[in-house]
Amino acid sequence: MASTFKPLIKASRRTMFYLFVVSITVMIITPLFFLISLSFLSTDASYSYPLPLLPSLSENYELTTGERGYLLSLEQRNGEYKTMLDTDDMEKMAVYMKTRLSTPISIPELEELTARVDHEGTVYFKRRSDLLNNYYTFFQITRDAGPAFIRSLQIAGMTILISLSIGGLAGYAFARYTFIGKNLLKFSTLFVRMFPAIAIALPMVIILAKMGFYDQPIGLSLVYSIGSIALTIWITSSIFMGIPESLEEAAQVFGATKFQAFLRVTFPLALPGLAAAAMYAFLGAWNETVSAIILTQFNPTFSVVVYQSLVGATGQVNLAAAGGMVMAIPSVIFTFFIRRYIRQMWGGMTI
Amino acid sequence: MTTLTMEKVTKQFGRNVIAVKDFDLKVKDQEFLVLLGPSGCGKTTAMRMVAGLEEVTSGQIFLGDRNITDLPPRKRNVSMIFQNYAVWPHMTVYENIAYALKLKNMDKQSIDLVVQKTSGMAKIDNLLERYPSQLSGGQQQRVAVARAIAVNPDIFLMDEPLSNLDAKLRVSMRTELKTIHHKAGATTVFVTHDQSEAMSMADRIVIMKDGEVVQIGTPDDVYHRSNSLFVADFIGTPPTNFLKVVIKKDQEGTHLKNAHLNLLLEPGTAKTLDGYSKEKLILGIRPENIILVNEEDASLSTSCLVTEPQGSHQIIAIQLDDKIIKIVAAADLKIKTGEDLHLNFKQETLRFFDPETTLALSD
Amino acid sequence: MALAINTERRRKIGKQIVPYLLVLPVLFYYIAFWARPVVQQLVQSFTSLEGQFTLNNYIMVFTDLNFLPALRNTSIIVVFSVTLEFFIALLLALLINRKFPGSGIFLFLTMIPMALPAVAVGALWKTGLTTNGWINSLLTYLGILTEGGKIYWLAGSIWKLLALMIIIDAWQVIPSIMIILLAGLQNIPKETEEAGYVFGGNYFTVLRKITLPLLSSTIQTAVILRLIAAIQIWLIVIVIVGFSRMPVLVERIVYYHEEVPRLTISPAMASGYTIIVTIIVSIAALAYLWVSGAFRRKRKEV
Repeated sequence: MASTFKPLIKASRRTMFYLFVVSITVMIITPLFFLISLSFLSTDASYSYPLPLLPSLSENYELTTGERGYLLSLEQRNGEYKTMLDTDDMEKMAVYMKTRLSTPISIPELEELTARVDHEGTVYFKRRSDLLNNYYTFFQITRDAGPAFIRSLQIAGMTILISLSIGGLAGYAFARYTFIGKNLLKFSTLFVRMFPAIAIALPMVIILAKMGFYDQPIGLSLVYSIGSIALTIWITSSIFMGIPESLEEAAQVFGATKFQAFLRVTFPLALPGLAAAAMYAFLGAWNETVSAIILTQFNPTFSVVVYQSLVGATGQVNLAAAGGMVMAIPSVIFTFFIRRYIRQMWGGMTI
Repeated sequence: MTTLTMEKVTKQFGRNVIAVKDFDLKVKDQEFLVLLGPSGCGKTTAMRMVAGLEEVTSGQIFLGDRNITDLPPRKRNVSMIFQNYAVWPHMTVYENIAYALKLKNMDKQSIDLVVQKTSGMAKIDNLLERYPSQLSGGQQQRVAVARAIAVNPDIFLMDEPLSNLDAKLRVSMRTELKTIHHKAGATTVFVTHDQSEAMSMADRIVIMKDGEVVQIGTPDDVYHRSNSLFVADFIGTPPTNFLKVVIKKDQEGTHLKNAHLNLLLEPGTAKTLDGYSKEKLILGIRPENIILVNEEDASLSTSCLVTEPQGSHQIIAIQLDDKIIKIVAAADLKIKTGEDLHLNFKQETLRFFDPETTLALSD
Repeated sequence: MALAINTERRRKIGKQIVPYLLVLPVLFYYIAFWARPVVQQLVQSFTSLEGQFTLNNYIMVFTDLNFLPALRNTSIIVVFSVTLEFFIALLLALLINRKFPGSGIFLFLTMIPMALPAVAVGALWKTGLTTNGWINSLLTYLGILTEGGKIYWLAGSIWKLLALMIIIDAWQVIPSIMIILLAGLQNIPKETEEAGYVFGGNYFTVLRKITLPLLSSTIQTAVILRLIAAIQIWLIVIVIVGFSRMPVLVERIVYYHEEVPRLTISPAMASGYTIIVTIIVSIAALAYLWVSGAFRRKRKEV
């Protein structure tokens, strides 16, 4: 009796389950979708309300004679044309079409169009949108965005170098040796890792200033390495533990020195894990903001630049979105590569 | 305790994986029944359906005359010993046994009594306050056994309970599990892929392959009267030797021949072939049923490839074309590698298999 | 002969020294760039401008008009976001605890919010919560808002803003706590729970008596790590609400260091707030290390 309903109950349970998974996915994706979409919107579209769901790939224009020169109108979502600009200055019109409307056009092209207007009256034309316009603009108008981007990469690179060299050695020691104070050291790395960044950044102002590293990329990477060394130790020691010591011993039996054995056997096997540790160090340095604010003045990192553009009152949402996207893309990509390690990490480091 | 009946039980995973197909089984009261087969043959799935951990796709399962096909596990009154023991790591040994009883709403005093009794039976009464992580694999195993006995189930299900133990402990636990089975008088279904475990423990063995039953019988049945090439090969170490032969009949009688062998069948044995019309045949012979004879009595002459002394006996390997044939011989026989051997077969133990159907010609 | 013994011994000592040589750089690094600044900070917080011992810095922070609100706001965010996030995440993890087609992609998707840099999350919600932002636009498209209607998300009381912060934090954090708990659930051998069912448990007894106790260390880890992160909330508050309107502890530090660095009290205030945050976080961190078993002797595993 009950068995007649069994397939039905099973099917509805499955449907519920997928509905549930899909709704979580939607909740996660919706804000991300709007951030991405906004970062491609033209300035004009980003001021409209409600905001368009997707950026338009091209715009339809109407050009006709106006009071002051030529009257440029833009086709709206409802099909009507809205007046945008009335000018006889072709350069102004070109700039307007690029910065406000994300449809770059050259002055000769515009002159050709106006010539047709003079001849035929009203002219209709279509321009492709430059979807990356906001990204260029963000780097052009935001003070220091370009150099800051480079600096952030430098800082991340140096952080990787410092934490991998120092942390990798310790990770190897943790995996292969027992020694007095091992547990204490493990314990302190965990504690250091959880220590608030700001508690180190603030006093580091003076220390770095004395070393001449204040407001310098190297100064920040020294600070970031404190946290990422701990992580590197944790990741590398688990990697080295996963590589059986007998492999090294086998190489030694066949005549390699201990160091050669490490270099030719263990190191290549550990490479993928080391790459993960490097990406982790990158993420830590790239994403960080509060230490960067405190330890830089004229040479901010990219995250500080984006932060300042968000706090500043100018508030062009499409540019803010573009800045946020530039921050987000490397993070998401690297997270993808090391997702397994991150999941373990979030699960807590066990001693 | 009670009987277990499975009628045409089928388990299908997804659209086209059939794990168990039309499984029919009757386990008698107090019987120790072993489900035996290579990994992936569906034996564990079959048992998990009895426990209620796996839904039945079609068919019926009865415990006594109770239809338990659609009952959740907790309403079946079965108990189970898992391959990895599945003792609850956050509970002490005492709590592990007691919790199973508490779930059955037993009062505290009776629980205490049962725990004392069963832990004594499983010889872990001195470990009651320990946590599983403080116990060895064998001790954890005993906890699982005690917990399973304590609930006084209608049937015991054991899913490869010995496979995680080391070799020596495994053999001694066999004896112990069997003793406990006798004491508790419990109907038991035991899953294993180890044929010697199955042979030594079972009242009856069910041999499975690809989700279907191949043979059901006592250890004696499946060993001496294997009904197919699969069973003859799967049961016994070393396994049955197989020889491809053709049947030739002349005035002398029926001969089985190949490049090396010329075997004249005794009239009694030849009768088995009556009604078999094909020319080709596979001959099966257990290693202990090949005997060393004088040259004139031999149906097979060859040279010794290698000998493997075993202490109580020795195994002689010979090579026929690309096939290795193994012979069990007395330990005191002095045979050297390369030495000529003259062999004959104990005819009453010969098994004949149809090469096309792979089934045995006689029961 | 004697020489041989000598080299033998030297080699032995050399071997014992290797691990210490390997960890020496870390030790040195921690002392130079972690212990030193932290101690300096601590000393400085008890030192007056004239170099005398003083408690004035702390008195100044404690009597700061914004101190209690900052402490209160931070506590509210911590308590509510961590509890809310944890319970929802647990529910989701229990419901999703199985493999399904596309589960790999789904798990990666759920990691994204947590993986995003704080400024990107700031950009995300800043563009959403303005009156012409995407949230109001979305509500309009869904027909919840009438044409041209708008919700003024950032107007109104602090309570509303706190609730917003908690919701934003929940969006960012729930999926990843869910992953942590999922990982924990998947680490529990299936048979342990199955044994519960076979021996007479129903779904809820097995959940309560077997699954959750076995998950408890994962739960404690997740909760405390979240606690530590939530105490240090600042960027999203400044980006969405601005300085001083809804003070929280770390926001105060940035405020005194960045926004009003030239006030005479600013260095003292920044360092005072820093010490307070440090102490609170350290306690949480120690609690984490406690539950994760760092202080316990390793239980003998046989």
